[in-house]
Amino acid sequence: MNGAVPALRIDKLVKRYGNFTAVDGISFEVQEGEFFGLLGPNGAGKTTTINAIVGLANITSGSIALFGHDVVRDWRTARRQVGLAPQEYNFDRYLNIRDVLIFQAGYYGIRGKAVQQRADMLLERFDLASKAKQPYIKLSGGMKRRLTLARALIHEPKLVILDEPTAGVDVELRLELWSLLRELNTNGTTIILTTHYLEEAEELCDRIGIIQTGKLIALETTQKLIGEGSLQDVFLELTRR
Amino acid sequence: MIVNSVGFQTLVKREMVRTFSIINQVIWPPVIQTLLYVFVFGLGLGSQIKNMPAGVSYAQFLIPGLIMLQVIDQTYSESSSSVFQGRFMNSIQELLIAPLSAIEMILGYVVAGAVRAVFIALLITGLGLVFVHTAPTNWGLYVLTIVLVAVLFSSLGIIFGLLAEKFDHIAVLTTFLITPLVFVGGVFTSARLLPPLVQKISLFNPMFYMIDSFRYSYTGVGDAPLALSLTVVSVLAVAAFAVALRMTAAGFKLRT
Repeated sequence: MNGAVPALRIDKLVKRYGNFTAVDGISFEVQEGEFFGLLGPNGAGKTTTINAIVGLANITSGSIALFGHDVVRDWRTARRQVGLAPQEYNFDRYLNIRDVLIFQAGYYGIRGKAVQQRADMLLERFDLASKAKQPYIKLSGGMKRRLTLARALIHEPKLVILDEPTAGVDVELRLELWSLLRELNTNGTTIILTTHYLEEAEELCDRIGIIQTGKLIALETTQKLIGEGSLQDVFLELTRR
Repeated sequence: MIVNSVGFQTLVKREMVRTFSIINQVIWPPVIQTLLYVFVFGLGLGSQIKNMPAGVSYAQFLIPGLIMLQVIDQTYSESSSSVFQGRFMNSIQELLIAPLSAIEMILGYVVAGAVRAVFIALLITGLGLVFVHTAPTNWGLYVLTIVLVAVLFSSLGIIFGLLAEKFDHIAVLTTFLITPLVFVGGVFTSARLLPPLVQKISLFNPMFYMIDSFRYSYTGVGDAPLALSLTVVSVLAVAAFAVALRMTAAGFKLRT
């Protein structure tokens, strides 16, 4: 991986809201093919960082590049590299779920038979094919969660960002989602995951960064970070300092 | 100007899907309301009104005004509610994370607004043809005026869809400005029939120029010079579009 362009490079990122500094000069890289965990307590700056990466937050200072493309100067190319699965369901209520995928691809400038086939493939893969013509409000919580992931993948991004993808789902679905994410990562997609379930990060992530009050307080491989203990112990120790 | 043309077209298509999925809110009300206006005011009370300009009956005079009334109302309310709902439900984030520029987004909403406006206008025009036996004589001016008005009110809809903090705020412009100005702007009567002072006041009402230039496409005459009317509407449309574009490009209430 050395010398290769990183999937994500964040350099001295600062995001302020008035006098409040949500992200305070963090820098880190995520290499292509990595499964990276971004952890931190509530309000630490995880979602703000994600929003800055995908263009939902304006950067105060610093820079972010996706596969070498600056998210401000070269925003069109940068945005094509990344898919976001947000924590909240924000689907278009006027579309059926197949069209949710097809229209999302359209916004990325992709259309045609290939997109329709990919939408059908994703619906099949995420066990949503039988609901293809339904609006998202008719789906169960687990189905909505899977649809969030399918939508993030419709334009075949090289990097997928998952903001608490298993929040509020039952154990069975969580394990199923873990399996889907592992498969995705094995197939070459770089994944950035935020989660409050530390065992999830421990189970899935190659490397973990921990943010607290907008600062990066740890950045290590999962194995090194945990050592002989558990991620929960390390996390609590770091965030209580 | 438009780099991601597929993205822009997808947004236009999405707005059309939205329109036809709430057809009972968007398409039928203007048609039904117009029918009622035509029968009650145009053919009923209006039969008693003589001396309309250009030698047309009152009902024939009324039709272009009613088309403008509905085009203005529906164009504003649809674009404002679509943008506000997108913000409220966060579904607008689907656009914001995509490689779509501000101008591609704004044009998407505005072009959809213009298509919707022409569609509604054509439906009402059909009613005019069937029930009042009137039709435009200048189709170029007919389409041009609708498009300019749609650009203006779609852009205003986007602006207020961005400014609003609750649905109620969207109604402020309609209730306190658009509806009163449209009603006194010549939908129901010619400025020539008004007292001289009121005639002068109506020159400051932008809706007067919209309705007047549109009526010109039917009757071939207007209360104000056509060039002046089109200039006023064009300047307002460009100004509103520029403000909507600036707000969207700055991420106003869209990006944190």
